Amino acid sequence: MDRREFIKACSVVALMQVLWGCRRLPDLSGGKVPEIAEFEKEVRLALSRAKGAFDLVQVPMPGPLDVHGASPVNRFGMAIDLDACDGCGKCILACMQENNIPLSSKGERDAGRFMHWIEMHGGTPAMCFHCGNAPCEKVCPTGAASHTPDGLSTMMYKRCTGSRFCGANCPVGARKFNYVDSVKEGLARKFNPEVPLRSKGVMEKCSLCLQRLQDHKHAQMATRPGVEWRGSGLKTACSEACPKNAIIFGNWLDQESPLVQEAKHRNLYVPREIANLDPSVVYMRGRR
Amino acid sequence: MYRILVYIGAALLLLGAFAFGVSLWEGPTAWHTDVRTFWGIPISLFVLWIGLAHAGTLISAIFLALGYPLGRRTSMVAELSTLCSLAVAALFPLVHLGIIEKFYMVVPFLDARGNFSNLRSPLVWDFCCISVYGLVSLLFFATHLFSEKFPDLKKLIRPMAWLLFPLVLWVHTIVSLDFAVTFVPQWRGAFFPLYFIAGAIYSGLALVIILLTAEHCRVRVLEKLMLGLSWFMAFFWLWEFLLKGSFSFEVVFLGAVVPQLMWLRVIRENAFGRLLVAFSVLVSLGLERYILVTPSEYNAAEYFSCTDLGLVSFSLGLFTTLFFVFRAKFSSLLEGEDVVMGEIVLQQDESDKESEKISIPEKNDFSILRLPLLLGVLVTLLYVVWAVSVENANLAPLSVVNVAPLCLPLLVLVASFTLCARPLWGISGKRVKLVCAVLAGILGCLAGAFWAGGSSDVSSGVVSVQEVDSPKTVEFIWSSRCASCHGQDGKFNEKFVREFYPLPQKLTPVRLDTLGEDSLVKVILDGRVNMNPYRGRVSEEEARGLVRYMRHLAGEGE
Amino acid sequence: MDAILNALYCLMALGTSMFLWRRPVSIFKEMGILALSLVVFGLFSYLTMDLAEPTLEYMPFRMLALCICFSTTSLTSHKTRYLVLSQVLWLWVEFFGGLTFVYHGLDMPWTRIVAIGAGAFGGAFLSHISREMEFLLMVYWIAVWMFF
Repeated sequence: MDRREFIKACSVVALMQVLWGCRRLPDLSGGKVPEIAEFEKEVRLALSRAKGAFDLVQVPMPGPLDVHGASPVNRFGMAIDLDACDGCGKCILACMQENNIPLSSKGERDAGRFMHWIEMHGGTPAMCFHCGNAPCEKVCPTGAASHTPDGLSTMMYKRCTGSRFCGANCPVGARKFNYVDSVKEGLARKFNPEVPLRSKGVMEKCSLCLQRLQDHKHAQMATRPGVEWRGSGLKTACSEACPKNAIIFGNWLDQESPLVQEAKHRNLYVPREIANLDPSVVYMRGRR
Repeated sequence: MYRILVYIGAALLLLGAFAFGVSLWEGPTAWHTDVRTFWGIPISLFVLWIGLAHAGTLISAIFLALGYPLGRRTSMVAELSTLCSLAVAALFPLVHLGIIEKFYMVVPFLDARGNFSNLRSPLVWDFCCISVYGLVSLLFFATHLFSEKFPDLKKLIRPMAWLLFPLVLWVHTIVSLDFAVTFVPQWRGAFFPLYFIAGAIYSGLALVIILLTAEHCRVRVLEKLMLGLSWFMAFFWLWEFLLKGSFSFEVVFLGAVVPQLMWLRVIRENAFGRLLVAFSVLVSLGLERYILVTPSEYNAAEYFSCTDLGLVSFSLGLFTTLFFVFRAKFSSLLEGEDVVMGEIVLQQDESDKESEKISIPEKNDFSILRLPLLLGVLVTLLYVVWAVSVENANLAPLSVVNVAPLCLPLLVLVASFTLCARPLWGISGKRVKLVCAVLAGILGCLAGAFWAGGSSDVSSGVVSVQEVDSPKTVEFIWSSRCASCHGQDGKFNEKFVREFYPLPQKLTPVRLDTLGEDSLVKVILDGRVNMNPYRGRVSEEEARGLVRYMRHLAGEGE
Repeated sequence: MDAILNALYCLMALGTSMFLWRRPVSIFKEMGILALSLVVFGLFSYLTMDLAEPTLEYMPFRMLALCICFSTTSLTSHKTRYLVLSQVLWLWVEFFGGLTFVYHGLDMPWTRIVAIGAGAFGGAFLSHISREMEFLLMVYWIAVWMFF
């Protein structure tokens, strides 16, 4: 090997080293956390792609639950005032921040899927209706979808195998499936430390801010022992965020609850598909 | 011939293996889904292959049970195809799961933590029925296969056929319930059990006709049956159209119009003609399954991605490879080279029903079935009583309707294994016995492990659960651990506290609020100036409860 | 549902059952008759029943099952076996159809199912079926159809 070749070889090695050093290392930490502006942008995108409006039918006021072991004093629910709501979408953002809902990846958005628990259906917000006779819970093979005595349709994420049967059986399509690993993709942000981030392959949906209910209950039990807990004074994230006060949270079985006080004088509606399933979340329109 | 088919199968398998790997790796994003479609191609393939798996038992068991046994080769081919398509079918529901390793949670068996799968869900029934069907079909195949060598087994075949006869129909009924019980408008239908059974038998017949063509023989009865079933399928499609307005031209053309070509002698008597018709039926049924599983407004078949096609190719390849490998293996295992899987070598056009009829003793055939059936009924009853009475905090109590779909599979499982265990154990060699014993041991260990449950540690990433349920508990902890210094009423025990310097500040509500709950919990657990650490003696939840109790006491003192 | 309409359905099933198993028996002929009668049942129930009525979904298949039940009385061999099997088919249609309705909030037709089940179970013990017995069975089926 003469000198020239030696130098050539050396420079090739050096070049290789430079190239090797310049390569983009894959981000293995998964440390990327999206900015809040990105969440706002996604909500705007979702608003521009609102789904078709529901066919609403009138229903009476929800009464005590007809499920196994239901509480006779508590049944939580919400009423959405269609006369007041202007579809601004602030509830969606508040819900995302309260429940650590991840952004949707590009592929998901193209397929028309958002992880938002609240979605606009023809200008009206819709979330899980927490049916008393919920079809999703009946078909869940592992019992991950179940009912609390307080009337919440809940998800046990650790028990979910992701068979997506509940999603297929939800008449209003309120259930969202984690198709991608949002933490690894840098799509999730833990706004609220009290709510876990969901892993890839499980179902999720509106929990009616279960964590707020739990905290409220425990705080009352610790500070005012002996007083029956009716959840008075509590609000979900969406109802707190609504500028028009169009989302009212409360206890259907508590006559003092703002929900019952308001709903007493209004006509109540639900989507036709779930009218027979005893939903806990209803729409209000017009005065009676 | 078989070698070429195995190669073709392996090629398809390799092509599809990539898609299969992607599906395993990526999860449900790998194939086409949309807002309304949560399932997509794997479940369509599952329904298709489980339907094809019915051919074997239908042709072999039902004909045998009703006293019209077919030729041994026909029934053996059909049974082998059942096992192979069952293996293919069982893969897809697993692939389709979001978290595959948790599939065992579907087993309706109570574990130590009180977790019991939801018996109201058709998926649980599905899982049980298909596992039982696989096991019993294997048993039936083994009995049938070895009955040539060991005439003792011959008397088991007909009772086994009678056990399988209802099971095979039951399995597909349950598969149809996966759809029929839902609220999806396109899936509503109390007629789905019959619709699915008819479709399954129809596609199964087509598959067997193809496989028999590969054996260079044909069975006229099966062709006639297929043609007859095509009319029934046409009615089902008409009924779907009348009720829901759903109609697919391709499905009806390939599935109901093309088979009518069998009326033409030219087509009927030509192997390629028969293949054409049979393949057209298979394609039609596959397409129909896909359209059914995808309840979208648009034509979902146009959105087939590479992975979807790859999974189809994978299933085809896996079946072809499995079938022809076993086919070749058993033909060398049994007798000579030419006499394949049985004693009757069918000539072309010779296999009319009458000529094949084998006389089987009718009398006293079923007395051996009494004890196994009794045992099966007993076990089933016990299970039903147990399952209905299991206390489960999370789920509503079960009714008989929820457990009923499991009854027949359980009965058949117990009965068929009691029936065949002793004769099969008697004839099997040492190695088989050893393998069986080891398998039984592993199964027992698994069941035990399942029963015992895994570790109950709270997984990371899940919020800690606060469990200060009863205010009494908090009060008790306060008086036992804190009251000596802080006083029963939350004001300091003056006599004792005076000893400290600097004098501790009063815990007024304002001060408690400025300190905040979390830091106070830390103080209780880790201690501070004069305060002793209580970690280990008080849990974090209890500390939190204590802080709230403290605030409550301070508030009362105002 | 209208009692007269119900009786009409029953009569149709009885009428079509007369064409089955006439000698010479051939697969094509029987399957053709069954498929044709299914079409007739389907169109008839579709035209006469309310579309919103969920039981419409399996009406033609119930009628077919009843028709097969009736037709077994004209068999010459293995009468008992097919009598039981055809009733099991009817039971199957009713039970699994009812099961899907239970998930949609309707009640299970338990009396009907028990009655058909009893018929199938009792039929298994008949060793010889006389003409009178056939007639009694048909009356029993009609009663189950009409009143349960």
